[in-house]
This record gives sequence, C-alpha cells and structure tokens, in this order.
Amino acid sequence: MLSQLLASAADGIVLAAIIAVAAMGFTLQFGLTNVLNLSFGSVMTIGGFTAYLANVAGLSAWLGMLLGGVAGGLATIALGRGVLRLYARRRTQLFEMMMVTLGLSLVIDYGLQSISQNAIYGYTVLQASPVRLGPIVLTPIQLFIVLLAIVILVVVEAALKFTKLGKALRATAVEPSLARSCGIQTGRVVLITWTISGFLCGLAGVVYIISTQSVDYSTGELFLPLIIAAAILGGVGSLRGAVVAAVVMGIVTEVVAGFGGAAYSTVAGFAILVVVLLLRPGSVSGGAEDRQLVL
Amino acid sequence: MAEREEGFGISTASPSTALPVATEVASDGGYTAGPVLVATDVVVSYGGVHAVDRVSISVARGEIVGVIGPNGAGKSSFLGALGGQVKRSGGDISLLGKDISSMLPHQRARLGLARTFQTTSEFAKMTVFENLITSGEGNAGASLKEVVLHPRKTAQRERAMTDRAWEILQRFEMEHTVNLYGRELSGGQRRLVEIMRCLMRDPAVLLLDEPMVGVAPHLTGKLIEDLRAIRRDGLGIVIVEHALEVVRQLCDRVVVMAFGKVIAQGSFEEVVQDASVQAAYLS
Amino acid sequence: MSVWVFYISTLVIYFGVDLLAGIALNLQFGYAGVVNFGFIVFQAAGAYMAAVVVLGPSGGVASFQQYIFGSRLPFPLDLVAAAVAGAVVSLVIGLFSLRRMRRDYQAAVLLIVSLIALQVVSADVPLFNGSNGLTGVTWPLGQIVGVTATGAPVIYAAWTLAIAAIVFAAVYWLSKSPWGRSLRAMRDHEDAASAMGLNITSLRLQVFVIGGAIAGLSGGLLVEYIGAWSPGAWGYAETFVIFTAIFVGGVGNYRGVIVGVLLVPVIFLELPRFLPAVGYPGLIDSLQWVTIGLAWMLCLLFRPRGILPEKRMEVTKPAGVPGPAVVPSEGGA
Ligand SMILES: Nc1ncnc2c1ncn2[C@@H]1O[C@H](COP(=O)(O)OP(=O)(O)OP(=O)(O)O)[C@@H](O)[C@H]1O
Ligand SMILES: [Mg+2]
Repeated sequence: MLSQLLASAADGIVLAAIIAVAAMGFTLQFGLTNVLNLSFGSVMTIGGFTAYLANVAGLSAWLGMLLGGVAGGLATIALGRGVLRLYARRRTQLFEMMMVTLGLSLVIDYGLQSISQNAIYGYTVLQASPVRLGPIVLTPIQLFIVLLAIVILVVVEAALKFTKLGKALRATAVEPSLARSCGIQTGRVVLITWTISGFLCGLAGVVYIISTQSVDYSTGELFLPLIIAAAILGGVGSLRGAVVAAVVMGIVTEVVAGFGGAAYSTVAGFAILVVVLLLRPGSVSGGAEDRQLVL
Repeated sequence: MAEREEGFGISTASPSTALPVATEVASDGGYTAGPVLVATDVVVSYGGVHAVDRVSISVARGEIVGVIGPNGAGKSSFLGALGGQVKRSGGDISLLGKDISSMLPHQRARLGLARTFQTTSEFAKMTVFENLITSGEGNAGASLKEVVLHPRKTAQRERAMTDRAWEILQRFEMEHTVNLYGRELSGGQRRLVEIMRCLMRDPAVLLLDEPMVGVAPHLTGKLIEDLRAIRRDGLGIVIVEHALEVVRQLCDRVVVMAFGKVIAQGSFEEVVQDASVQAAYLS
Repeated sequence: MSVWVFYISTLVIYFGVDLLAGIALNLQFGYAGVVNFGFIVFQAAGAYMAAVVVLGPSGGVASFQQYIFGSRLPFPLDLVAAAVAGAVVSLVIGLFSLRRMRRDYQAAVLLIVSLIALQVVSADVPLFNGSNGLTGVTWPLGQIVGVTATGAPVIYAAWTLAIAAIVFAAVYWLSKSPWGRSLRAMRDHEDAASAMGLNITSLRLQVFVIGGAIAGLSGGLLVEYIGAWSPGAWGYAETFVIFTAIFVGGVGNYRGVIVGVLLVPVIFLELPRFLPAVGYPGLIDSLQWVTIGLAWMLCLLFRPRGILPEKRMEVTKPAGVPGPAVVPSEGGA
C-alpha cells in the first residue's frame, strides 16, 4: 500500500517534471502576450517528431533533444511572427486570438497526421536499467528529466530576476504601454520570450516521447490539458506556481493510475483545476477582459 | 417582479427645461426622508492591497452625492462594491433598508440599483432601441419561463417597454439613433445610452461613473439639467466625476477619496477649501 | 435502389444533423457568447444514450460489446433519452465551467473537457465499449413502420429534415424573443447586462442546457442512421467543423447557419469522397481537417462576422407615441 503509493508518487514526480517543463514555457508566453495559445500542444508534437527524425538520421538522442527544442522555438517564432502578427494588425481581440491558435493547432496536427501517415512511431532511446531506491524504481533518464525541470526553473527564474532582459520582460508583462514609453523594445522582448517558450515546449515534447516511448500526431494535443491546467493553477506568468501545480497534478494523476483508475487518471489531475476554479474565482476572473494583446 | 410605482416621471421636465446651466448649487430640498442607500465601512482589496478602505456613504432620496479623488483613489472600486461587480471584503451595504451586501449584481438591480460604468458598457451589437428595452425593469426576456409560458404577458411587457423607451429617447433627443448599433455611436451618445438604460429601470439609486467623459460640452449642461430633473422624483444619485465644475453644479454633498480612504466630505465649497484635499490633489 | 439515392439521402441526413448542431451552437455562441469548445461531447452523449436504449440489455463482458443503461425503449423515448442525456451532461459540465470566469479560460476548460471525455470513454470499456464503440443500433420508429434506416434512406432523410425544421422553428422563435435579446445583451457586455437585472449565470446555463439537448438529439438521430458510435466519431476537432460552419455562414444569422452547414460539412467533408484515392488511405481525411483549420483561420482573418452578418432589428416610431410637441409640460426647475 505505502510502497505502491511511493512508487506512484515517484512516477508522479517524473510526469510532473514533464508537465513542468511545458507549463513553464506556456506560462511565460501566456503571462506576457495574454494569448491562450492552444497550438502549444502541436508545437510539442513538432518537437517530438524532430527528435524522432534526428534519431532516424542517426544523431545522438541528446542532440535530438536539443534539436527538438530548437524546432519548437523556430515553430513558435514562425507562428507568433508569421501568423499571430497578421491578426494583431487587424486588431483581432484577445479572445479571437485564442481561436486563431486553435485553427493553427488543427492545421499542424492534421498536417502532421497526413505527413506521418497517421501512424505511431516508437521512440526508444536513452533507456537504461532502472535504479532501485526501496519501492521506487526510476530509470536514469527519468532522473535526468526531473533534474532538467529543476535546472530550467532555477535558470529561468534567475534570468527573470537578475538580467536586464528579465526585468524588461516583467515590466512588459505588467504594463506594456508604460514599458514601451520607458524605452523597452517590447517587440524584442516578445520575440525572445516566444523563443524561450517555444524551446521549452519542443524540449517538453521530446522528454514526453522519451518517457512514453512513442510519438504520433496527437501526442501534444492529449498532453495540452495538463499544461493549461498547470499554468492556470499556478497563476499565469508564475514559473514557480506552474512547477508546484505540475507536481500536484503529476502526483495525483499517477497515484490515481497506480490504484487502478487508469481511465480516470487525467480526470483526477484535471479535477484539481476545477476545484481551484471553484474555490479561487478571484484568481481567474476579474478585469481580465481588459488585458491587452502584446505581440 | 413588481413594477415600482414611483419613478422618474418623464413628464415632469419637458425639453423646454433644458435651459442654460444654472450656476447656483442645486438644492431642491424636501427629499431627504430617510436614506435610500447606506454603505458602512466598505472594504475592497485586490490581493491584499486595500483599494477601498472602510468607506461609508449615505444617500438620501433626491440627493446627489459626488465622489471625487485623484486617479486610483478607489472610486470605481467603491462603486463596483455597491453594484456588486467587485468583491467586497468588508462592510455592509443596504438599499431601501434591505441588506444587499452579499447579493449578486442582478439582484441588487432588481431591488432598484442602477449603474453606469467608467468604460462605456453599451451593448455594442444591439441597436439603441434594443439596448433600452432589454434593460427595462419589466423586461420579459429576463425569464425564459415567462417568455415561453406567458406569451400574452410578455407581449404586454414588450409594449410597455417600447412606450417607455420612446419616451426616454425623446427626452434625451436621441430618437434619430434608435436603429444604430451601440458600436456605431459616439462616446457621448454611448454615455447617454447607458444613462437612458438605467432610467428604463426606474431605479431608486443611480450610480454614475464619470458620466461626462466624452460628452460634448454643450450636452454636459443638458445632462446636468436632466440629472437634476431625475432626482426630483426621489432618486438618490452617486456620481464619480473628475470635472469639478460638474460636481459643483450638481452635487449636494461631496466625498473626497484618496488611497482608498475618505479624506474629507461636506459641501463642494467646504471640501475644496480642505487642506488635506488640496494636498491629495497636488501630490 | 440506386447508389445515388442512397448517397443523396445520406448527405441530406448529415445536413439535417449538422443543421441541428449548427442551430444549437449558434444559439450558444452567436447569441449568448458562450464559447462551447466541447460541443461534440453533448452530441456524443446523445448518441451513446440513444444507442444503449435501442440496443437492449447489455450482454456484459461475455458479449462482443458491453455498455451501461442497456434497455430497449420504444419510440419516441429513444430520442427523448438522447436529448435528456445531452441536457444532463450540459447541466453538469455547465455548473462548473460557466462560472464567472475569463472567456478564454472558459473556452479552454470546455476544450479540455472534450479531450478528457474522449480519453475516459476510450479507456473505460464497461462504459460504452471503449474505443471499439457500439454497433448494431437500429431505428425504433422504422421498426414500427417496418423499414430500416439504411433500407429506406429517403424516409430517414425526410424524418431528419422534419425534426430539424421543427427545432429550427422553435429556436428561431426563442432567439428572436425578448429572451434571445437578453442573451445578446449578455454576449455584448456581461457586467452591464447583470447590472440591468439579468441573471447571467442562469441565462448562460439555460442556453447551455437547451443547446446540449439539441446536440443530444442530433447525436441520437445520427447514430440511429449510421448504426454505430465510437470515440472516432467525436474527436475534439468535430466541434470545430460546426464552429467553422457558423463562422463561414454568419454568426448570429440563421440563413448564414444554413449556408455554412451546407458549405462546410458537406463540401469539405463529403465531396472529397468523389476524389480519386491519392496517397495512403486516410490522407484525404487528414487533409480535410487541415482545410477546416485553414478555413477557420481565414474566416477569422477576413470575415469575422461571416458571409451573412447578424441582421439589424430596425424599429420605427409608432404613431401612438407623443411627439415633442405634445409632451405634457409641468415646468421644470
Ligand atoms: N481588478 C483589479 N485588480 C487589481 N488592482 C486593481 C483592480 N482594479 C483596480 N485596481 C487598483 O485599485 C486601485 C483603485 O482603482 P479604481 O479604479 O477604483 O480607482 P479610481 O479612483 O476609479 O481611479 P480613476 O479616477 O483613474 O478611475 C488602483 O490602484 C488600481 O490599480
Ligand atoms: Mg475610476
């Protein structure tokens, strides 16, 4: 019982780490631009497929991971600069922006479906014999993923706090017009944020498919609920919040799955979001409609 | 939903009363039989910061109370707490003797509270006419049950709303705009539509958040005149306004807010003399 | 019976079903501003419900398909059950998702509901036979008349159109009623609408449940024709076909909804069946979805209000209303 719980919790931490990497990227982007980007899951899939192709091409899995991140970053820039800008110029409202990202996700997902011939591709890399710590069994790569999430949290948090760019980003997120009049080049800030966030997104796609050992066109889409839930739960724009939320959701999901409710494990993770929405309506309602688009 | 009998009679003020603005401070007197709206120690906080800090106000029948203060003083937040749009973290509010502190906005509205918003809140994709009849106190559309089960009563209410709407449109000389969408109006016209919408409800208390912003100067005088006409029917008005000249002409009493607190209140002349008010405005 | 009769009838049936869905979604989105990104879930609820009350008692694990609520309800209880299922699921989901919440969060939550419901139904086999779905659904009304849905597709098409027409008339009337006007007020400015005495929460829930019932009904009609229902039929993207249809046609305009429902599902999803098979099987399906996504994005870019925008309700001053000259004047200040 207890050992089952511990084992599930350990799995939960690994899942949490994956959610966290993606959710940090998501929250960074959402906090700044205020666009709830529903194509985030599709970009994750792009990252996953890139790593898969790199593997097929004979590159090392580590390089594949890096390339997956880069692909995510490039894709996000292309979407942000190429597509969303187009709509922003037509004064599309924030809410309609979200709908645009949804259309994008349909295009990307089913584009990938047609290219990938709607097949599931196995991706078994970096699998080594597991390490045993009492009831907890983890593979080295799982440990690596957890470590990666922690490193990203620390590095990005520090960058936000101490670098000039980080300060500019925070200023832009709070009050874009004021930031602009203070001489901050908000366009550049947004571009860099898209890049970082896209990189994290692609990276998350890779670590996710390493952990599930397969990739197909709907990989990211099915993971998206967890990301959005973690980002909203943690408070939009807060990296630490996203990580804490990811840990809660990851553990709950795996514990429910570990105790036999595999079909309902995602529901359990999502139920937390619902509870929070019910208990803390203040955190999600209010003058949000006045938020402005930052692109 | 019983229709309230008293209400602002359109007929009491004909367009001929839209005279050049009177310069004396309004004091029509005789309407102070008990407060219609009492707020005690209202607190609003946004994530720990008190935007409104124990503000109290009492509005009598026929009284116009001005709320002034520098930007960010918490005036709109206070009105929001009164109207129910903003969550209040302390204090009590009563309307016509009933405690409305924890009521939802529409419940307060049905008890006789009407309000406008700082950023105009016209229904943008509805015509001016629809804006009005949807807002009426007797709007049958508030209840699906009534629309489906009592078509006759619904039709009756629609007719009543229609007549009322035409009266008010005429009163504000807005008949030419009936078929325009809210989004097609000018800023001033939007303000007027908001106020007309409130009057469709025959409210007991009217809360106005900067109603003069965007209204053409020559209409400001008329609006002041209109508000005075309205209050003669025993309506209590709370008005947040930056234009001190308007406040001077219109308000019986002025409450000055700064940093969420009431720093002075009294007649217009009294508060502008007040040292702390001058300090607040200069800082 | 010629293949053509069968084909055209099938198109008409799809049109009727999609029209029902389009009406429901237009009421929710076009009139009330509720962005129901989980719409397909309610259609699926109706379809599953109709299936299990038509299929008869479940044989349990032993049989080739297992499901809950197995029974054999006579017409018209099968369709009533489908509508009720849509309404009940809407009520439950609406109760938590329609709270005062940012509109984008609300939409995201409903999308998430759609994704998760699909996962759950696919994984929980005892519920509705998991990802294999249910088959063998028949048409109770047809049994009374002595035909099967696929045997007499023309009759089924007429039946579907009749139901769609009745629902269309009812919803049309409702949305032009004062209640529909209140919905539009809520859509345009929530705070102002509630400050004008409208109970936003209840209006939104009403429109959600009514839409859910219609969606459920459409699901029931669909499953009694095609005879089978599985998670493959209600992926989250299906919702966006209907959204695209009302975007293309015109948000808040019923003629537009008809046009959109004719154009989008029929042209994008049905006509390509005539194309010669290219690539691997399934390629055309994928490309259809890409097209839907592109159409959706282009609509948002060029014609956010659709081909036929919402109609303005013009009024003229009635003769009975006194003009300025006859206003009783009692003298002012
Ligand atoms: N939704 C909100 N969340 C957080 N803080 C808020 C919110 N709304 C207002 N505030 C803060 O509360 C304070 C009071 O705001 P409020 O709008 O009530 O002021 P105001 O007196 O109406 O100002 P103005 O004259 O500019 O309209 C301000 O500091 C504002 O930044
Ligand atoms: Mg204000």
